[in-house]
Amino acid sequence: MPISSRLVINLTIVFLTVGLLALVGIIATTVWLGEKARIYAEEATSARMTRVAAVELRASLQSAESSQRGYLVGGNEIYLAPYDSAKTQAGSQLDRLKSSLSGAPQSARVIERLSGLVTDKIDEMDRTIALKRELKDAEALAIFGGNRGKALMDEANVFLSSIIRTTDERLTDGLAQQRINASWLRWVSIIGGLVIIVVVSGVILTIYRYTREVAQTRDEVQSLNATLEQRVNDRTADLSKARDTAEVLLAEVNHRVANSLAMVSALVSLQSRAMQDKVAQEALKETQARIDAIASVHKRLYSSGDARFVDFDEYLSSLLDNVETAMKGEGHGASLRYDLAALRLKPDTSVNLGVIVTELVTNSFKYAYPDRSGEVRVSLKRLSTSQAELVVEDDGVGRDAGSPPKGTGLGSRIVNAMARTIGAEVEYFVRHPGCGARLAFACPAELG
Amino acid sequence: MAPRGNATRVCLVATSMLLSVMQPRSPEAQEGPAGITKPTVLSPFDPNASSCGRPSGLERVLAFAQDNDRKFMQGVAHGLALAARDRGLEFRIAQANNDPAKMVDQVRTFLDAKVGALVVAPVDPPSIGPVLKQVIWSGAYVGAVVPPPAITVLNAPQYLTGKVLGDEAAEYIRSKLNGKAKVVLLTHDSLQFLAPRFVAIRDSLKAMPGVVIVADISPLTVDEAGGTAMMRTILLAEPDVDVVLGADTVVLGALAALREAGKARPDQFLGGIDGEPAAVGEIKAGGPYKASVSLASPIFSYAMGQHAADWLEGKSIPQAMDILPKALKLDNIASYEADLADPAAVYNNRSRRNEYLRMYGNICFDTRQNFINFPWSSERK
Repeated sequence: MPISSRLVINLTIVFLTVGLLALVGIIATTVWLGEKARIYAEEATSARMTRVAAVELRASLQSAESSQRGYLVGGNEIYLAPYDSAKTQAGSQLDRLKSSLSGAPQSARVIERLSGLVTDKIDEMDRTIALKRELKDAEALAIFGGNRGKALMDEANVFLSSIIRTTDERLTDGLAQQRINASWLRWVSIIGGLVIIVVVSGVILTIYRYTREVAQTRDEVQSLNATLEQRVNDRTADLSKARDTAEVLLAEVNHRVANSLAMVSALVSLQSRAMQDKVAQEALKETQARIDAIASVHKRLYSSGDARFVDFDEYLSSLLDNVETAMKGEGHGASLRYDLAALRLKPDTSVNLGVIVTELVTNSFKYAYPDRSGEVRVSLKRLSTSQAELVVEDDGVGRDAGSPPKGTGLGSRIVNAMARTIGAEVEYFVRHPGCGARLAFACPAELG
Repeated sequence: MAPRGNATRVCLVATSMLLSVMQPRSPEAQEGPAGITKPTVLSPFDPNASSCGRPSGLERVLAFAQDNDRKFMQGVAHGLALAARDRGLEFRIAQANNDPAKMVDQVRTFLDAKVGALVVAPVDPPSIGPVLKQVIWSGAYVGAVVPPPAITVLNAPQYLTGKVLGDEAAEYIRSKLNGKAKVVLLTHDSLQFLAPRFVAIRDSLKAMPGVVIVADISPLTVDEAGGTAMMRTILLAEPDVDVVLGADTVVLGALAALREAGKARPDQFLGGIDGEPAAVGEIKAGGPYKASVSLASPIFSYAMGQHAADWLEGKSIPQAMDILPKALKLDNIASYEADLADPAAVYNNRSRRNEYLRMYGNICFDTRQNFINFPWSSERK
């Protein structure tokens, strides 16, 4: 799937965020474990000091007891050499122990009891040694044999052993916790490192793919650009050929339509000549004139080379010439004069206007000059950039206002209908002499 | 003196007797053979040893010179009475109420009455020893609850007693405490001869690396109050204790201290020696107290009564007998109490008898000069 630049940005942001989080995780874990290590170190130092004090106190008491017993059994003062220093050492270690244990649970009662035991033990040893020095061996041995000294030592040992064991457990637990912490740090570092490697790999892969795709796209664009001109030329040639073909086809169609209309006109003419009834004959001739007007537009279209527009002035002049010729052939004595501005109109507009002009001119030829010759005038001019005006007028007998139309009236209906088709109205006006019709219609400037 | 348990009592008397043996003999003591005075290792008892002559001129009476009326001695009297009934002997009993002189008078009375058999639980071995020898010289059977002289000496193996308790504790620690326990060992410094018990307990536990003996100490007084006081002190140093071992009385005191401190737990193992009724009651209650090592006095006394009857019939009987310690636990108390109620059934079934008794040496009327006159112990090497 192609990678969009947006996707690249989003992926890169995601990867960098994950990598950053992994890095933050490693740093936070390291800081946290470092803090725990510091706490453990303080705890270990405290536990070790307590343990040393307890061990030293026990050793001092044992040393003093050993001296006492050696002296009681042997009576030799040499055994008492370490006695005083052992007692002093026991006192100082007891003080250290008190300091170390202060604040621990139950420590006050333990210290109180332990202090009492140490004091009693030293008193018992001092008393037996004093009795021995006073040569009261029996009394000294009686105290010794009463096991009081052993009982005191045993009880002190319960406390000292407990303290030593407790501190050992604290040290062991702390060490185990440190091992666990180290393991945590190792795993967090490994996992975090792997995450960062994955993230960096992801970013590199994404950028690599994106870069490769950009390069591929650039190559494809360059390749397309290289053939584009040729393809445009080909396409232009194809279009030109297609257009020519279409124009030929359109001209052919117009040609055929014109021929067909000419054939229809000829058939109508034949029909007209075959008719006995003058009225019918006349109607068919009018129809033929209308068909000729339409056919003339198609003739113009296939002969002009531009099927979109008709040079209306040229078309209209040709049409008027044909009408005049036809009217004069029927015996009408009027003459036709026209003044046509150059206009280009759409074929439909041209057809409608052609039929309208044919109707009006034919009408004037037929009815304006019943008993004399006269002139029928047709003018075409542009009124503005968007409008043009067609006027047909004569100097004939005219027509009274409100009088019925002469003939069948079909011509007037056709004129009005076709005028509405192109969005115009026919205005009839009276002249003295004669009458006329004016038609203003839309005519865009670009068509003029 | 602080009250002592049955097994303790048995050994205390033995030590006292050792002292009596070492004292100069009175002229009266020179009237007959001195018996075996040099510590000797006895071979196992041979039940098929040949018979010899019967004592003559003696009454078919089994007498019991009882030191006091404690429960252990009541059991001895019960066993002797049953044996006398079963063997057609007349049973007589005289209680000295811990009065040595009275006991001497009572034994002399039995001697004068020509009783055929005498079982004695000496109040004071040195004072009663000479009279007992006269009874032996008269041809009568003398069975002694521990201290010599006697035709048959009854003893309790101290090391084995401690070992039974230690092994029970070790097994409990192994199976219920995952091999880890803080142990309190309440010893008895004032009675040196009991030291093997505690050696045995330490031997049972020392092979377990998870066991820590947090206190190995003797209470100032070996009784319930002493146990309570010592346990209070220990709890100061070690608030959490898993196992407490010692004599029943001190362990009962320790249990009181644990309860007082709110440190008694059902998963603890408290075990004692002596089969004290209060300890048995605690075991039955199913709390921290899990075992008490007991000596079945009706069973060994029933055996002594049987031996007395055999003696009068000229049969060979043991010179010494161990009453084997039995650990009473919740699951065996009922059967143990049933055995105590019917010692004859135990004695007449060899395998059941061997669970309680182990016999050594052979002696009969014709070889009575080989009576035991030293503090015998099967554990002596």
